[in-house]
Amino acid sequence: MIWAGAAFLFGLIAALQLAYWPMNANLEWITFGRLRPLHTNAAIFAFAGNAIFAGIYHSSQRLLKTRMFSDVLSKMHFWGWQLIILSAAITLPLGYTQSKEYAELEWPIDIAITVVWVIFAVNFFGTIRQRREKHMYVAIWFYIATIITVAVLHIVNSIEIPVGMLQSYPVYAGIQDALVQWWYGHNAVAFFLTTPFLGLMYYYIPKAANRPVYSYRLSIVHFWSLVFIYIWAGPHHLLYTSLPEWAQTLGMIFSVMLWAPSWGGMINGLLTLKGSWHLLRTEPLIKFFVAALTFYGMSTFEGPLLSIKSVSALGHYTDWIVGHVHAGALGWNGFLSFGMIYYLVPRLWKTELYSKKLLENHFWISLTGVLLYYISMVVAGITQGLMWRAVTPEGQLVYPDFIETVVRIVPLYWVRALGGGLFIIGFMMMAYNIYKTIRKAPKAVEQTSYEVQRTGFDEQTQDTHRKLEGMGFTFSVLAFLAIIVGSVIEIYPTLSLHKYVNPANIVEPHTPLEIAGRDIYIREGCYVCHSQQIRPIASEVLRYGNASTVEESMYDRPFQWGSKRTGPDLARLGKKYPNLWHYSHMIDPRAVTPKSIMPSYPWLVEKNTDFLVLRKKLSVMNKLGVPYDSEVVANADIHAQKQAQEIAADLESNGAPKGLAKKEIVALIAYLQSLGQKGKAQ
Amino acid sequence: MKQEGLKFFTDTYLTSLGLLIFFLFFVGVLIWVYRKNSSKIYHRMEQLPLTDGDSV
Repeated sequence: MIWAGAAFLFGLIAALQLAYWPMNANLEWITFGRLRPLHTNAAIFAFAGNAIFAGIYHSSQRLLKTRMFSDVLSKMHFWGWQLIILSAAITLPLGYTQSKEYAELEWPIDIAITVVWVIFAVNFFGTIRQRREKHMYVAIWFYIATIITVAVLHIVNSIEIPVGMLQSYPVYAGIQDALVQWWYGHNAVAFFLTTPFLGLMYYYIPKAANRPVYSYRLSIVHFWSLVFIYIWAGPHHLLYTSLPEWAQTLGMIFSVMLWAPSWGGMINGLLTLKGSWHLLRTEPLIKFFVAALTFYGMSTFEGPLLSIKSVSALGHYTDWIVGHVHAGALGWNGFLSFGMIYYLVPRLWKTELYSKKLLENHFWISLTGVLLYYISMVVAGITQGLMWRAVTPEGQLVYPDFIETVVRIVPLYWVRALGGGLFIIGFMMMAYNIYKTIRKAPKAVEQTSYEVQRTGFDEQTQDTHRKLEGMGFTFSVLAFLAIIVGSVIEIYPTLSLHKYVNPANIVEPHTPLEIAGRDIYIREGCYVCHSQQIRPIASEVLRYGNASTVEESMYDRPFQWGSKRTGPDLARLGKKYPNLWHYSHMIDPRAVTPKSIMPSYPWLVEKNTDFLVLRKKLSVMNKLGVPYDSEVVANADIHAQKQAQEIAADLESNGAPKGLAKKEIVALIAYLQSLGQKGKAQ
Repeated sequence: MKQEGLKFFTDTYLTSLGLLIFFLFFVGVLIWVYRKNSSKIYHRMEQLPLTDGDSV
């Protein structure tokens, strides 16, 4: 719950920063670009993660009728995970990031995650092995799928080569990296924020309502179709990019198909409560479950909708997506976790909840908060999307200045912050309520253990289906196969990249100084607000220039396509403005764009570029197949310094301060000026 | 330029293959789940969370 509070708080600050830019406080550690990854990681892995683990540990022991395999492993898992969260909370504000959404953490932490996950898996499968109940309830299936898939996703997405203690380059480049990242990113939503929570739903809702799930058959169909389909849907994050068309279509079709199993699951959950609606009065915590399922239904209706190409063309890069995500995270994951906590704590501490009235208030305040948040973001998103694409009959943009479309939605950012604030107030009520409940609990509770009979093992199995449900290992392998088929087909284009690259358009790799600048761009989280991918849509080509191609990003590790446009796209930025414009833009964005909501980056003029590490960086790139001359690799720092001198001289002659050559701002300018300048066929 | 690029995108068979695999899989699961004589098992399965031995 502490992490939940932290996640919500960071979110609120980030929301305020967008509404009111001075909230960035000119502090590099809490600037939006660094705070936002911290917020998403805290929400997904710290808050949702710990809620999942608590629920899984509690319900599995009861469903499998045995104690966890090993208390030591449970403890290692718990403390290991908390350490990972802590290290994330330290490294992200310091700017150590891979700039891959939801996978920002650097390689040493990635390795730690793998180790802890394996500990969890051993503990969980060990428990399944020694279970006393042969039948595995459907919630257990969801947990199994979660553990296996998250392992596969994390490992495949995190293959990278270290450059230093806290920096690395992924082995994938350009469209490869983008696709692997969104295969991961989408399925992090699927297998970290959906399947485990569905498992929890299938356990806690029947428990809370004291009736069996509405249709067990439906839950099986739900499970298999969800696990099978979800994994294919990743490319819908990359519609209209330079990803091969067929992969986009595949992603879209499978996303639309997800409608069916998701709604099957939602209906199954809601109908479980059929005939128990009176409980809403006596057991108000059920309200949280009902709201969670409703939000699940809403988000999973909206998700496939957004992945239809024409809808995506409007919604992608806008705040609509942000609203969608939060309806899922706050509404579905948040409310289900809250319901679970309200259910669990009094029972674990053998007491009654301190105040049902407070619970009611928490529910209504949070619900209002989520709705305000969601509505304001969808309105902002659609407004902005429509303004971006508005074209006059003469074929010109109605709003050529990007800033016009930003200014229009700033009031909605305030509404969003208000919604987030309400959600946090509700959360604090819960924290207080739970604290009082625990205080109220009887001090000494005798430990009681239950002797449970082994059931199900002696029964004669009549048919194959029964057998399958009894076989933990076989079942896990099948679940693994279900996810792997989709993954292989989806990742195929990344492994055969050469087929999509037109040899006539091969681009030049970045110069050493540009690489240094690119790493600063990544560190500051510029990708959080600026995309580098122009879609082949008339209004975008008018606004930014030619649509992006496969070749342009073929050496980009990691890719920087971005997923949100709070500021304009940068793919064709190079040579558009003089160096001095970039300089002023970083120091005081309002000087070049009045009303801009971008933070200032004064530390870029103070910090020195690390030239020496460039040799190492280029040699890693070289190993990964970026065609650098061995001479350039060996003298990377000298090449970089030479280019830096030229830019600094230009800045100086136009009125900027002297002696900037060593400063980070110059490297960043070099990178920005190179964007869109590398291809032969521009 | 776009046309030129598009001629490389010829892997439509993968899309159809994906759809086919899924469809067969889905029909399989349906047949399996709605077989006759399975009601009793499911009735027992759905009671599992409610009969887990303790009140906690």
